[in-house]
Amino acid sequence: MDAPTAFNATKPTVETKEKVDYFNLPCPIPYEEMHREALISLKPEVFEGMRFDFTKGLNQKFALSHSVFMGPTEIPSQSSETIKIPTAHYEFGANYLDPKLMLFGRVLTDGRVNARVKCDLSDNLTLKANAQLTSEPHMSHCMVNFDYKGKDYRSQFQLGNGALFGANYIQSVTPNLSLGGEVFWAGQHRKSGVGYAARYSTDKMVATGQVASTGIVALSYVQKVSEKCRLRGKIDSNGCVTAFLEERLNMGLNFILSAEVDHRKKDYKFGFGLTVGE
Amino acid sequence: MASKGVSLKVKGKGSASKNKGSSSSSSSSDENSMCKALKDWSNWGLKKAKVIAHYGFIPLVIIIGMNSEPKPSLSQLLSPV
Repeated sequence: MDAPTAFNATKPTVETKEKVDYFNLPCPIPYEEMHREALISLKPEVFEGMRFDFTKGLNQKFALSHSVFMGPTEIPSQSSETIKIPTAHYEFGANYLDPKLMLFGRVLTDGRVNARVKCDLSDNLTLKANAQLTSEPHMSHCMVNFDYKGKDYRSQFQLGNGALFGANYIQSVTPNLSLGGEVFWAGQHRKSGVGYAARYSTDKMVATGQVASTGIVALSYVQKVSEKCRLRGKIDSNGCVTAFLEERLNMGLNFILSAEVDHRKKDYKFGFGLTVGE
Repeated sequence: MASKGVSLKVKGKGSASKNKGSSSSSSSSDENSMCKALKDWSNWGLKKAKVIAHYGFIPLVIIIGMNSEPKPSLSQLLSPV
Protein backbone atom coordinates (compact mmCIF):
# COMPACT_ATOMS: atom_id res chain seq x y z
CA MET A 1 0.00 0.00 0.00
CA ASP A 2 1.28 3.44 -0.79
CA ALA A 3 1.99 5.73 2.17
CA PRO A 4 -0.17 8.80 1.82
CA THR A 5 1.89 11.81 0.80
CA ALA A 6 1.17 15.39 -0.02
CA PHE A 7 1.16 14.53 -3.73
CA ASN A 8 -1.75 12.11 -3.61
CA ALA A 9 -4.02 14.45 -5.53
CA THR A 10 -1.90 14.17 -8.66
CA LYS A 11 -0.64 10.58 -8.39
CA PRO A 12 -3.50 8.41 -7.18
CA THR A 13 -3.62 4.63 -7.02
CA VAL A 14 -6.70 2.52 -7.30
CA GLU A 15 -6.34 1.07 -3.80
CA THR A 16 -6.32 4.33 -1.93
CA LYS A 17 -9.46 5.66 -3.75
CA GLU A 18 -8.10 9.18 -3.86
CA LYS A 19 -9.24 11.87 -6.24
CA VAL A 20 -9.10 10.60 -9.80
CA ASP A 21 -6.46 12.13 -12.00
CA TYR A 22 -8.23 12.54 -15.29
CA PHE A 23 -5.01 13.11 -17.18
CA ASN A 24 -3.58 9.76 -16.23
CA LEU A 25 -6.23 7.27 -17.19
CA PRO A 26 -5.33 3.74 -18.24
CA CYS A 27 -5.46 2.71 -21.86
CA PRO A 28 -8.78 1.02 -22.60
CA ILE A 29 -9.37 -2.48 -23.93
CA PRO A 30 -9.52 -2.66 -27.73
CA TYR A 31 -13.02 -2.20 -29.13
CA GLU A 32 -13.36 -5.68 -30.56
CA GLU A 33 -12.36 -7.26 -27.25
CA MET A 34 -15.02 -5.43 -25.34
CA HIS A 35 -16.97 -8.59 -24.58
CA ARG A 36 -13.86 -10.67 -24.01
CA GLU A 37 -14.62 -11.91 -20.50
CA ALA A 38 -18.16 -12.85 -21.41
CA LEU A 39 -17.11 -14.62 -24.59
CA ILE A 40 -14.37 -16.62 -22.88
CA SER A 41 -16.81 -18.12 -20.46
CA LEU A 42 -19.87 -18.27 -22.65
CA LYS A 43 -18.55 -19.17 -26.08
CA PRO A 44 -16.13 -22.05 -25.75
CA GLU A 45 -15.06 -23.68 -28.97
CA VAL A 46 -17.48 -26.57 -28.91
CA PHE A 47 -17.09 -29.13 -31.62
CA GLU A 48 -18.54 -32.49 -32.61
CA GLY A 49 -16.43 -35.50 -33.45
CA MET A 50 -12.80 -36.16 -32.81
CA ARG A 51 -10.07 -33.58 -32.79
CA PHE A 52 -6.36 -34.04 -32.38
CA ASP A 53 -3.90 -31.14 -32.32
CA PHE A 54 -0.17 -31.45 -32.20
CA THR A 55 2.11 -28.44 -31.91
CA LYS A 56 5.83 -28.78 -32.26
CA GLY A 57 8.06 -25.90 -31.33
CA LEU A 58 11.24 -25.64 -33.33
CA ASN A 59 12.60 -22.71 -31.40
CA GLN A 60 11.28 -19.99 -29.13
CA LYS A 61 9.57 -18.12 -31.89
CA PHE A 62 8.67 -20.67 -34.52
CA ALA A 63 6.28 -23.63 -34.29
CA LEU A 64 4.57 -26.02 -36.64
CA SER A 65 1.22 -27.55 -35.92
CA HIS A 66 -0.67 -30.53 -37.25
CA SER A 67 -4.33 -30.98 -36.60
CA VAL A 68 -6.72 -33.78 -37.54
CA PHE A 69 -10.47 -33.47 -37.33
CA MET A 70 -13.09 -36.08 -38.10
CA GLY A 71 -16.72 -35.39 -37.56
CA PRO A 72 -19.94 -34.11 -39.00
CA THR A 73 -20.18 -30.52 -40.08
CA GLU A 74 -23.43 -28.71 -40.44
CA ILE A 75 -24.49 -27.24 -43.70
CA PRO A 76 -27.13 -24.56 -43.73
CA SER A 77 -30.47 -25.82 -44.93
CA GLN A 78 -33.81 -24.24 -45.61
CA SER A 79 -35.85 -26.68 -43.56
CA SER A 80 -35.91 -26.78 -39.79
CA GLU A 81 -33.80 -29.92 -39.66
CA THR A 82 -30.06 -29.57 -39.50
CA ILE A 83 -28.17 -31.47 -42.16
CA LYS A 84 -24.84 -32.87 -41.18
CA ILE A 85 -22.32 -34.43 -43.48
CA PRO A 86 -19.33 -36.33 -42.18
CA THR A 87 -16.04 -34.70 -43.02
CA ALA A 88 -12.44 -35.25 -42.18
CA HIS A 89 -9.57 -32.93 -42.68
CA TYR A 90 -5.97 -32.42 -41.82
CA GLU A 91 -4.64 -28.97 -41.18
CA PHE A 92 -1.03 -27.93 -41.27
CA GLY A 93 0.01 -24.72 -39.64
CA ALA A 94 3.06 -22.58 -39.09
CA ASN A 95 3.37 -19.88 -36.44
CA TYR A 96 6.01 -17.29 -36.00
CA LEU A 97 5.90 -15.16 -32.87
CA ASP A 98 8.12 -12.20 -32.37
CA PRO A 99 7.53 -9.23 -30.06
CA LYS A 100 7.09 -7.09 -33.14
CA LEU A 101 5.76 -9.48 -35.75
CA MET A 102 3.36 -12.36 -35.54
CA LEU A 103 2.57 -14.62 -38.49
CA PHE A 104 0.00 -17.35 -38.27
CA GLY A 105 -0.84 -19.57 -41.20
CA ARG A 106 -3.02 -22.64 -41.57
CA VAL A 107 -3.66 -24.68 -44.67
CA LEU A 108 -6.35 -27.34 -44.96
CA THR A 109 -6.62 -30.37 -47.16
CA ASP A 110 -9.19 -28.70 -49.37
CA GLY A 111 -6.80 -25.93 -50.26
CA ARG A 112 -8.11 -23.21 -47.99
CA VAL A 113 -5.50 -20.98 -46.42
CA ASN A 114 -6.16 -19.05 -43.24
CA ALA A 115 -3.59 -16.35 -42.62
CA ARG A 116 -3.16 -13.81 -39.84
CA VAL A 117 -0.49 -11.19 -39.62
CA LYS A 118 0.15 -8.76 -36.79
CA CYS A 119 2.94 -6.26 -37.15
CA ASP A 120 3.94 -3.41 -34.84
CA LEU A 121 4.91 -0.65 -37.20
CA SER A 122 5.85 1.61 -34.31
CA ASP A 123 5.23 1.84 -30.57
CA ASN A 124 1.67 2.95 -31.04
CA LEU A 125 0.69 1.83 -34.53
CA THR A 126 -0.15 -1.79 -35.29
CA LEU A 127 -1.13 -3.42 -38.53
CA LYS A 128 -3.26 -6.54 -38.44
CA ALA A 129 -4.46 -8.56 -41.39
CA ASN A 130 -6.71 -11.56 -41.51
CA ALA A 131 -7.44 -13.52 -44.67
CA GLN A 132 -9.25 -16.69 -45.67
CA LEU A 133 -8.21 -17.66 -49.16
CA THR A 134 -9.80 -20.38 -51.21
CA SER A 135 -9.30 -21.74 -54.69
CA GLU A 136 -12.90 -20.96 -55.57
CA PRO A 137 -13.26 -17.55 -57.11
CA HIS A 138 -15.15 -14.91 -55.16
CA MET A 139 -15.05 -16.86 -51.93
CA SER A 140 -11.97 -15.33 -50.37
CA HIS A 141 -12.12 -12.75 -47.64
CA CYS A 142 -9.51 -10.39 -46.34
CA MET A 143 -9.57 -7.74 -43.67
CA VAL A 144 -6.81 -5.29 -42.78
CA ASN A 145 -6.83 -3.21 -39.59
CA PHE A 146 -4.69 -0.27 -38.61
CA ASP A 147 -4.70 0.32 -34.85
CA TYR A 148 -3.45 3.42 -33.17
CA LYS A 149 -3.02 3.40 -29.42
CA GLY A 150 -2.95 6.72 -27.65
CA LYS A 151 -2.44 7.48 -23.96
CA ASP A 152 -5.98 6.77 -22.89
CA TYR A 153 -7.71 6.00 -26.16
CA ARG A 154 -7.54 3.59 -29.04
CA SER A 155 -8.65 4.05 -32.60
CA GLN A 156 -8.85 1.56 -35.42
CA PHE A 157 -9.44 1.77 -39.13
CA GLN A 158 -10.51 -1.32 -41.06
CA LEU A 159 -10.43 -2.19 -44.74
CA GLY A 160 -12.00 -5.30 -46.11
CA ASN A 161 -12.58 -6.81 -49.49
CA GLY A 162 -15.82 -6.03 -51.20
CA ALA A 163 -15.35 -2.36 -50.38
CA LEU A 164 -15.77 -2.72 -46.64
CA PHE A 165 -14.61 0.19 -44.52
CA GLY A 166 -14.87 0.54 -40.80
CA ALA A 167 -13.52 2.69 -38.01
CA ASN A 168 -13.86 2.58 -34.27
CA TYR A 169 -12.71 4.62 -31.33
CA ILE A 170 -12.70 3.94 -27.61
CA GLN A 171 -11.75 6.28 -24.79
CA SER A 172 -11.23 5.83 -21.06
CA VAL A 173 -13.50 8.20 -19.22
CA THR A 174 -12.75 7.17 -15.66
CA PRO A 175 -10.35 4.51 -14.38
CA ASN A 176 -13.15 1.95 -14.60
CA LEU A 177 -15.36 3.16 -17.42
CA SER A 178 -14.60 3.36 -21.11
CA LEU A 179 -16.89 4.45 -23.92
CA GLY A 180 -16.53 3.89 -27.60
CA GLY A 181 -18.22 4.07 -30.97
CA GLU A 182 -17.86 2.58 -34.41
CA VAL A 183 -19.01 3.17 -37.97
CA PHE A 184 -18.79 0.90 -40.96
CA TRP A 185 -19.71 0.94 -44.60
CA ALA A 186 -20.14 -2.14 -46.79
CA GLY A 187 -20.05 -1.24 -50.44
CA GLN A 188 -21.08 -4.63 -51.76
CA HIS A 189 -24.34 -4.72 -49.91
CA ARG A 190 -24.75 -0.96 -49.79
CA LYS A 191 -25.07 -1.02 -46.03
CA SER A 192 -23.67 1.24 -43.39
CA GLY A 193 -23.99 1.27 -39.67
CA VAL A 194 -23.10 3.00 -36.44
CA GLY A 195 -22.63 1.47 -33.03
CA TYR A 196 -21.82 2.53 -29.48
CA ALA A 197 -20.34 0.59 -26.61
CA ALA A 198 -19.56 1.06 -22.95
CA ARG A 199 -17.52 -1.03 -20.58
CA TYR A 200 -17.35 -0.77 -16.82
CA SER A 201 -14.80 -2.94 -15.10
CA THR A 202 -13.51 -3.32 -11.59
CA ASP A 203 -11.33 -5.98 -10.01
CA LYS A 204 -14.28 -8.23 -9.36
CA MET A 205 -16.64 -7.71 -12.25
CA VAL A 206 -16.99 -6.51 -15.80
CA ALA A 207 -20.16 -5.11 -17.34
CA THR A 208 -20.42 -4.19 -20.99
CA GLY A 209 -23.13 -2.90 -23.23
CA GLN A 210 -23.19 -2.49 -26.97
CA VAL A 211 -25.80 -1.24 -29.41
CA ALA A 212 -25.49 -0.99 -33.17
CA SER A 213 -27.72 0.17 -35.95
CA THR A 214 -27.52 -3.28 -37.52
CA GLY A 215 -29.95 -4.27 -34.82
CA ILE A 216 -27.56 -5.67 -32.25
CA VAL A 217 -27.99 -4.98 -28.59
CA ALA A 218 -25.57 -6.88 -26.42
CA LEU A 219 -25.24 -6.63 -22.68
CA SER A 220 -23.02 -8.77 -20.56
CA TYR A 221 -22.00 -9.09 -16.97
CA VAL A 222 -19.16 -11.21 -15.66
CA GLN A 223 -18.38 -11.68 -12.01
CA LYS A 224 -15.11 -13.16 -10.94
CA VAL A 225 -15.78 -15.91 -8.44
CA SER A 226 -12.55 -17.77 -8.14
CA GLU A 227 -9.11 -17.83 -9.64
CA LYS A 228 -9.23 -21.10 -11.53
CA CYS A 229 -11.91 -22.45 -13.77
CA ARG A 230 -11.73 -25.52 -15.92
CA LEU A 231 -15.34 -26.46 -16.60
CA ARG A 232 -17.44 -24.01 -18.54
CA GLY A 233 -21.15 -24.40 -18.99
CA LYS A 234 -23.96 -22.34 -20.37
CA ILE A 235 -27.67 -22.48 -20.98
CA ASP A 236 -29.42 -20.07 -23.25
CA SER A 237 -32.88 -18.95 -24.24
CA ASN A 238 -33.00 -21.30 -27.24
CA GLY A 239 -33.06 -24.30 -24.95
CA CYS A 240 -29.46 -25.16 -25.72
CA VAL A 241 -27.15 -26.49 -23.00
CA THR A 242 -23.42 -26.48 -23.54
CA ALA A 243 -20.53 -27.78 -21.48
CA PHE A 244 -16.85 -27.59 -22.22
CA LEU A 245 -14.08 -29.14 -20.17
CA GLU A 246 -10.40 -28.67 -20.76
CA GLU A 247 -8.23 -30.80 -18.54
CA ARG A 248 -4.49 -30.65 -18.44
CA LEU A 249 -3.20 -34.19 -18.08
CA ASN A 250 0.49 -33.56 -18.19
CA MET A 251 2.91 -30.93 -19.34
CA GLY A 252 1.90 -30.17 -22.87
CA LEU A 253 -1.02 -32.59 -22.96
CA ASN A 254 -4.58 -31.26 -22.89
CA PHE A 255 -7.69 -33.33 -23.01
CA ILE A 256 -10.84 -31.66 -24.29
CA LEU A 257 -14.46 -32.73 -23.90
CA SER A 258 -17.28 -30.78 -25.41
CA ALA A 259 -21.03 -31.32 -25.38
CA GLU A 260 -23.92 -29.33 -26.75
CA VAL A 261 -27.52 -30.40 -26.40
CA ASP A 262 -30.22 -28.46 -28.17
CA HIS A 263 -33.53 -29.60 -26.83
CA ARG A 264 -35.63 -27.59 -29.20
CA LYS A 265 -34.05 -28.83 -32.40
CA LYS A 266 -33.26 -32.27 -30.96
CA ASP A 267 -29.68 -31.82 -32.05
CA TYR A 268 -26.97 -33.39 -29.92
CA LYS A 269 -23.27 -32.86 -30.40
CA PHE A 270 -20.47 -34.47 -28.49
CA GLY A 271 -16.82 -34.09 -29.14
CA PHE A 272 -13.56 -35.22 -27.62
CA GLY A 273 -10.01 -34.41 -28.43
CA LEU A 274 -6.41 -34.20 -27.46
CA THR A 275 -4.00 -31.29 -27.79
CA VAL A 276 -0.31 -32.00 -27.68
CA GLY A 277 2.28 -29.30 -27.42
CA GLU A 278 2.58 -25.95 -25.75
CA MET B 1 -16.30 -5.89 -70.70
CA ALA B 2 -18.27 -5.01 -67.59
CA SER B 3 -18.19 -8.63 -66.39
CA LYS B 4 -14.39 -8.71 -66.71
CA GLY B 5 -14.07 -5.66 -64.54
CA VAL B 6 -16.30 -6.83 -61.68
CA SER B 7 -14.93 -9.19 -59.08
CA LEU B 8 -15.02 -9.55 -55.35
CA LYS B 9 -11.75 -7.71 -55.05
CA VAL B 10 -12.80 -4.53 -56.76
CA LYS B 11 -13.33 -1.65 -54.38
CA GLY B 12 -16.05 0.08 -56.35
CA LYS B 13 -15.66 3.62 -55.06
CA GLY B 14 -18.39 4.90 -57.35
CA SER B 15 -16.51 4.33 -60.58
CA ALA B 16 -19.68 2.91 -62.14
CA SER B 17 -21.39 6.26 -61.74
CA LYS B 18 -18.37 7.94 -63.26
CA ASN B 19 -18.87 5.91 -66.42
CA LYS B 20 -22.57 6.61 -66.72
CA GLY B 21 -22.56 10.37 -66.68
CA SER B 22 -19.57 11.19 -68.88
CA SER B 23 -20.16 9.86 -72.34
CA SER B 24 -20.41 13.23 -74.12
CA SER B 25 -17.15 15.18 -74.24
CA SER B 26 -13.80 13.87 -75.47
CA SER B 27 -11.75 14.92 -72.42
CA SER B 28 -14.07 12.96 -70.20
CA SER B 29 -13.82 9.94 -72.52
CA ASP B 30 -10.02 10.15 -72.10
CA GLU B 31 -10.59 10.13 -68.36
CA ASN B 32 -13.01 7.29 -68.92
CA SER B 33 -10.45 5.05 -70.62
CA MET B 34 -7.84 6.00 -68.02
CA CYS B 35 -10.22 4.99 -65.23
CA LYS B 36 -11.00 1.76 -67.04
CA ALA B 37 -7.32 1.01 -67.53
CA LEU B 38 -6.62 1.80 -63.89
CA LYS B 39 -9.43 -0.48 -62.79
CA ASP B 40 -8.22 -3.27 -65.06
CA TRP B 41 -4.67 -2.95 -63.82
CA SER B 42 -5.69 -2.90 -60.18
CA ASN B 43 -7.91 -5.94 -60.75
CA TRP B 44 -5.06 -7.82 -62.38
CA GLY B 45 -2.75 -6.79 -59.54
CA LEU B 46 -5.16 -7.88 -56.84
CA LYS B 47 -5.75 -11.25 -58.52
CA LYS B 48 -2.03 -11.90 -58.72
CA ALA B 49 -1.56 -10.78 -55.12
CA LYS B 50 -4.26 -13.15 -54.00
CA VAL B 51 -2.67 -16.11 -55.80
CA ILE B 52 0.74 -15.21 -54.40
CA ALA B 53 -0.65 -14.96 -50.88
CA HIS B 54 -2.56 -18.20 -51.27
CA TYR B 55 0.45 -20.25 -52.29
CA GLY B 56 3.23 -18.29 -50.72
CA PHE B 57 2.13 -17.35 -47.21
CA ILE B 58 2.91 -20.59 -45.44
CA PRO B 59 6.30 -21.00 -47.20
CA LEU B 60 7.05 -17.40 -46.20
CA VAL B 61 6.31 -18.13 -42.55
CA ILE B 62 8.48 -21.25 -42.71
CA ILE B 63 11.37 -19.36 -44.31
CA ILE B 64 11.19 -16.58 -41.73
CA GLY B 65 11.01 -19.15 -38.95
CA MET B 66 13.92 -21.22 -40.20
CA ASN B 67 16.08 -18.10 -40.35
CA SER B 68 15.31 -16.91 -36.84
CA GLU B 69 17.71 -17.46 -33.96
CA PRO B 70 18.48 -20.16 -32.80
CA LYS B 71 18.34 -21.71 -36.26
CA PRO B 72 16.46 -24.99 -36.30
CA SER B 73 17.68 -27.69 -38.63
CA LEU B 74 15.87 -29.10 -41.64
CA SER B 75 15.47 -32.50 -40.00
CA GLN B 76 13.53 -30.87 -37.17
CA LEU B 77 11.21 -29.35 -39.71
CA LEU B 78 10.38 -32.60 -41.44
CA SER B 79 10.35 -35.13 -38.62
CA PRO B 80 7.17 -35.67 -36.64
CA VAL B 81 8.89 -35.86 -33.28
